[in-house]
Amino acid sequence: MDIIIKTENVTKIFNPGMSDEVKAITDVSIEIKRGEVVVLKGPSGSGKTTLLSLIGCITRPTEGRVIVNGKNVAKLQERFLTGIRQKTFGFVFQQFNLIRSISVIENIMLPLYPTNIKLSAIKKRAESIMEKLGISNKKDFKVQRLSGGEQQRAAIARSLINEPEIILADEPTAHLDTNLSEEIMRIFQRLNEDGKTIVIATHDPFIYERQFIQRTIEMRDGVVKNILNKNHDV
Amino acid sequence: MEKHKKILEYTLSSLLRRRYKNLAIITVFSFIVAALYSILFLTHSLKKEALTVLKEAPELIVQKVSGGRHDLIPTDYMKRIQEIYGVGRIIPRYWGYYYDAITDSNYTLMGINGTHVLHSNSKDNENYPSPIPLPQGEGARGRVKDVFSDENIKGLKLLNGRMPSNRKECAIGKGVSDVRFTGIDGEIFLIDSKGKVLTFHVVGVFASESAILTNDLIVINKDDILELFGMPSDRATDIAVEVYNELEIPFVASKIREILPDTRPIMKGEIIRTYETLFNWRSGVIFTMFLGALLAFCILAWDKATGLSAEERQEIGILKAIGWETGDVLELKFWEGIVISFTSILTGMIIAYIHIFFLGASLFAPVLRGWSVLFPPFRLIPYVDLYQVFVVLFLTVIPYVASTIIPSWKAAITDPDTVMRG
Repeated sequence: MDIIIKTENVTKIFNPGMSDEVKAITDVSIEIKRGEVVVLKGPSGSGKTTLLSLIGCITRPTEGRVIVNGKNVAKLQERFLTGIRQKTFGFVFQQFNLIRSISVIENIMLPLYPTNIKLSAIKKRAESIMEKLGISNKKDFKVQRLSGGEQQRAAIARSLINEPEIILADEPTAHLDTNLSEEIMRIFQRLNEDGKTIVIATHDPFIYERQFIQRTIEMRDGVVKNILNKNHDV
Repeated sequence: MEKHKKILEYTLSSLLRRRYKNLAIITVFSFIVAALYSILFLTHSLKKEALTVLKEAPELIVQKVSGGRHDLIPTDYMKRIQEIYGVGRIIPRYWGYYYDAITDSNYTLMGINGTHVLHSNSKDNENYPSPIPLPQGEGARGRVKDVFSDENIKGLKLLNGRMPSNRKECAIGKGVSDVRFTGIDGEIFLIDSKGKVLTFHVVGVFASESAILTNDLIVINKDDILELFGMPSDRATDIAVEVYNELEIPFVASKIREILPDTRPIMKGEIIRTYETLFNWRSGVIFTMFLGALLAFCILAWDKATGLSAEERQEIGILKAIGWETGDVLELKFWEGIVISFTSILTGMIIAYIHIFFLGASLFAPVLRGWSVLFPPFRLIPYVDLYQVFVVLFLTVIPYVASTIIPSWKAAITDPDTVMRG
């Protein structure tokens, strides 16, 4: 399997030079292969979300290189990053980050609005994804009327609408009970079987103990402590 | 195209989501625009109305001045003026103001020769023979007097009846008719300079379309006005002078001043300029009154320019994170600004139009129309200056749209992660 994501000595400092400066991650180097399911595990504040954001091009490293599909994205101009975000990644946020007061289907269709794909085609695609995720009966509901599990599935559906190669999920089971967590993990497993590369940031053992997880990268205090590969230490 | 259509659709749904906030902005914005347009519409319409009235007026009017004040002019001055090269018709005018203690009103009285009957919509109007001037319909003190010619009389519409053709007959304006509770075939009593009561038979009432000219007007026979005001028969109120060549008017005026040093020739251009200055000054007064409202609008625009709500910032972060470009976000915000500002402009303009041209500028007409007791009902003919419309449009839409875009642009160029974290 070829390497789809690579970070080289990546450091991220928020508010550098200010009184509230925070060094979120330090000197992180990892590799993720195409079609892999990787978990970034660690306690709160360990830098998992920051690393996920760096990989997903929604923030830039202070130092180091982030290579996606062989291209260093760390220094790319914003307009090129947008294109990469749109075509390569599907992001599932910890807080779902769905836009309240618009319908579920509109939220799911949103990533493809600034494209020249016809609205009817986008709608068809969204309906098909919703069908697969079992939320097609909620398509016209406003987001705030959905349960936590339904919101999470809507967020996953939105991340899939642009048919991305890589899905990045930040604490996807944080607000869900065991049954719903199980359901969400089954969805990720199916997506992986369809060939998607999946990176999940979590501190929930329920996730990283799953069979289909191929690697676990353990983080603590902004640095990589350990990388576990199918029960074998690396 | 498909992309822009979808962004526009999302804009509309986004505006509807924040309907209460947007309605509040539209309300304030519309109020400011309505106030600005009301001032502009009213000032422009009054100016236009005044200029229309003055259009047919003589180019030159000659008044006698005694002790710096307007005095009655001897009619034999006309012969002296006639000798000046380039002078056409010379017309003596008989008019004055009358205070009616019963109704606490001021009327404008004018005298005509009364040799011809003027009916409403009558073709006879074209043959009206007597070039008698018609004074302006409003009160007197400190105001500019217009000059009127027989063409103006022909232009006035009678609601009912005819113009006076005999002595002790009169035609009255709608305002006079209302305060005196009289109309066609009724009577009106006026007290002359000797304290004697004169009774006039009402033979005509002016139509309300010409109210700005005729509301406080009483037209009577020339001999009646001389009797009423106790004027000598060899005197007129002033003299209207026609000059064949427009370019020679200043020359004729200076010639009149030379041969008749106790007179004051007033050129039409001077009257027009005085009108413009007067209305500009009055509209300036109202602008000052609305300065507070303008300030409120500036604060609103500044508030928008300096920050976005946490919800708006987060939405921009989400849109960026899911693949929207900075340009797409700016397009969304541009359309939001355009929809809000144009809705407000249109609403404000419609409110101003109704306020000025249908409700008689009831909110601030007293400041603009000046001193008078019998105010005309103020159904102004709509005159809209497109230049002014566009000036207000640019002075409000552009700052507002800019104030919508700038903070969004700031958020859109920041890393989506940072924006979403707040």
